[in-house]
Amino acid sequence: MRVSRKSKVESRKLKIMLVLILYSLFFTPAFAQSNLTYTLRMAATGEVELLDNFPEVYETEKVNISLYDGGKYEPLRYDEGRDTVDFIFAHPGEEDLTAWGDSIFSYHESDETVWTVWRNKKEPKNRSQRVMVANGRNAFETYLHDTIDAKKSHGWIWWVFAALVLIGAVVYGCFVVYSRRKERELSSVEQETLRRQRMGKRRHYISQAYLWLLLVVLYAPIALIAVFSFTKSKVLGNWTGFSLDLYANLFTGQADAGLNSAIWYTVIIALIAAVCSTILGTLAAIGIYNMRARQRKVVSFLNSVPMINPDIITGISLFLLFVALGMSQGLATVCIAHVVFCTPYVVLSVLPRLSKMNPNTYEAALDLGATPAQALRMVMLPELWPGMLSGFILALTLSVDDFGVTFFTKGSGGLETLSTFIYSDARKGGLTPELRPLFTIILLVMLSVLIYINFKNKQEEK
Amino acid sequence: MSKILQIASSRRTWAWPYVLFMLLFVVLPLILVAFYAFTDIDGHFTLRNFAKFFTHSEAIQTFLYSLMIAVFNTVICLLIGYPAAYVMAQEEFKTPKVMAMLFILPMWINFLLRTVATVELFNMFGLPLGEGALLFGLCYDYLPFMIYPIYNTLQKMDNSLVEAAQDLGANRWQSFWKVIVPLSMPGVYSGIVMVFMPTVSTFAIAELLTHNNIKLFGSLIQDYITTTDLLNYGAVLSLVLLIIIGLTSFFGDNNSEGEKGGMI
Repeated sequence: MRVSRKSKVESRKLKIMLVLILYSLFFTPAFAQSNLTYTLRMAATGEVELLDNFPEVYETEKVNISLYDGGKYEPLRYDEGRDTVDFIFAHPGEEDLTAWGDSIFSYHESDETVWTVWRNKKEPKNRSQRVMVANGRNAFETYLHDTIDAKKSHGWIWWVFAALVLIGAVVYGCFVVYSRRKERELSSVEQETLRRQRMGKRRHYISQAYLWLLLVVLYAPIALIAVFSFTKSKVLGNWTGFSLDLYANLFTGQADAGLNSAIWYTVIIALIAAVCSTILGTLAAIGIYNMRARQRKVVSFLNSVPMINPDIITGISLFLLFVALGMSQGLATVCIAHVVFCTPYVVLSVLPRLSKMNPNTYEAALDLGATPAQALRMVMLPELWPGMLSGFILALTLSVDDFGVTFFTKGSGGLETLSTFIYSDARKGGLTPELRPLFTIILLVMLSVLIYINFKNKQEEK
Repeated sequence: MSKILQIASSRRTWAWPYVLFMLLFVVLPLILVAFYAFTDIDGHFTLRNFAKFFTHSEAIQTFLYSLMIAVFNTVICLLIGYPAAYVMAQEEFKTPKVMAMLFILPMWINFLLRTVATVELFNMFGLPLGEGALLFGLCYDYLPFMIYPIYNTLQKMDNSLVEAAQDLGANRWQSFWKVIVPLSMPGVYSGIVMVFMPTVSTFAIAELLTHNNIKLFGSLIQDYITTTDLLNYGAVLSLVLLIIIGLTSFFGDNNSEGEKGGMI
């Protein structure tokens, strides 16, 4: 009886394994197709002329292009009110338009245009030098300058996955069969305890595996950045041999000028915002702590508003305020905006310290003849210090990481922080290569801080 | 002089600069959003902007689509994040703090850069960019916001309750659904709010992940608000978003008790 139940369980396991194996074999080919991505440089004639014969072709294939003009990245408006127009990217004389891809990104760089073409299907046999770009109504002719970069996607990675799943399944199967055979020699009580143990262990392993799988997925893009920071290639995902040039460029200031100023602005804005919000927030926290219940409720609600508001709302509302007040947007407005969304967090990290403090010490200091300023400095600050520090760090992090609010309050004066710099970079279709080493360093610093904290905690436990 | 001293020493007044600052830079701007929504370009009162929104099918469609994407993303994050938080909060792990930190660490890398890297990863694997990529990217960016509050509530939970349930004859499954899940609901609610609100208002991620093929409500707002003569219409769209946010946070406030501050 018992044996038959066991064998049932075993056969179910084998079925699950079979399904997994079939799944990996069946679905892998669907994913494992390789694509070629070309970055082409073309000369733009700039002439936009009407072509009558295009609309019919337009029906066949739709290609999405965004056009941006140099530096400012404001979309060129070919169509009223929309910044994205459906374009055709076509070879004159080549009938098979489907040979060309799904989407094209471009931007004007001086008088040239860089196009990135994503192509899913077969490579065109004769790549013509002359290229037609059209949106059905308007079209302009241009010619292919050169291919900056052609890179292949790695569909074979899916086969590696499939192979790993297969190997894992086979190894596990062998292990199960082997351990069961050994167990049959034991008594039934021992078998039962072993089974219990195994269940516990298995649960542990499965949950561990789940966490690590999540972490692998979470860290995969970051690992990509870190790995490709050690190569010189302009395009992420293209390995051109080991090189530390990007690090050298970053530290000697030879990187893109825009990147350098973005780094400085980010640091300056973060420091100003963090200092201001720490001072403002600490004072506010002391005030709120001493308020009566109803007042306190109102101010606490006010304090929570910027935390609840998403970036875009905070950004837009401040943008409207600055427009209404006629303030020119730049460093000052960005700093104000950052103080707005940082201070509530400072308040929240100082308040718990206050409730831990003896409320009478401050008054005692006043009674003993200290001025309020002295009492604040010598009695309250030492107590509040840890809360202020964590608030300060939180404010720094929030400020550095912010994109939405900065985007709407930075104005058009050329002020860019790292976030907005990356955004405009990415919209152009590329990424300044020196960003890779920069964020690799940030990641390593954060990792070592984490390891240090962990190490210290362990020591304290001992 | 003594009066000034008295005022200064009454510490209640120390919050006034902050309150003033907030009134000027938080309350007034929000009022301005409403003001711009109800006026035309010359500052006269009008309801035409609202009329335009309700007849503007692109805006309505984008709005509903964004809501749908946000709901999907929240559900996916919950389905993936809850087990992760649960596993992390189990005592069997010797270093749960480190695990929690490892999940938060990616947030120090700029999310736009991570998004660009995700796009590159999709290209490398030969996967198409589109709705799937969008959901993956959103989930990738906001998963920590779901894991962390749930992890916090689960960790603070009194484990003896679970033991009591098991002593009273509940099996693991029952004690999970009848004890652990109800007790972790505050964390779940604040996780839902913290994922849903940024997703519904996101605007840069969708652009990058789909090469501008999919437009979310945030991008639409950004388009209109940065166009001078369409600013008032942009304000209407912002107001719509603001209402959604208000409703969501109201829902969150009623169900969770201040988990939001615990982030990072």
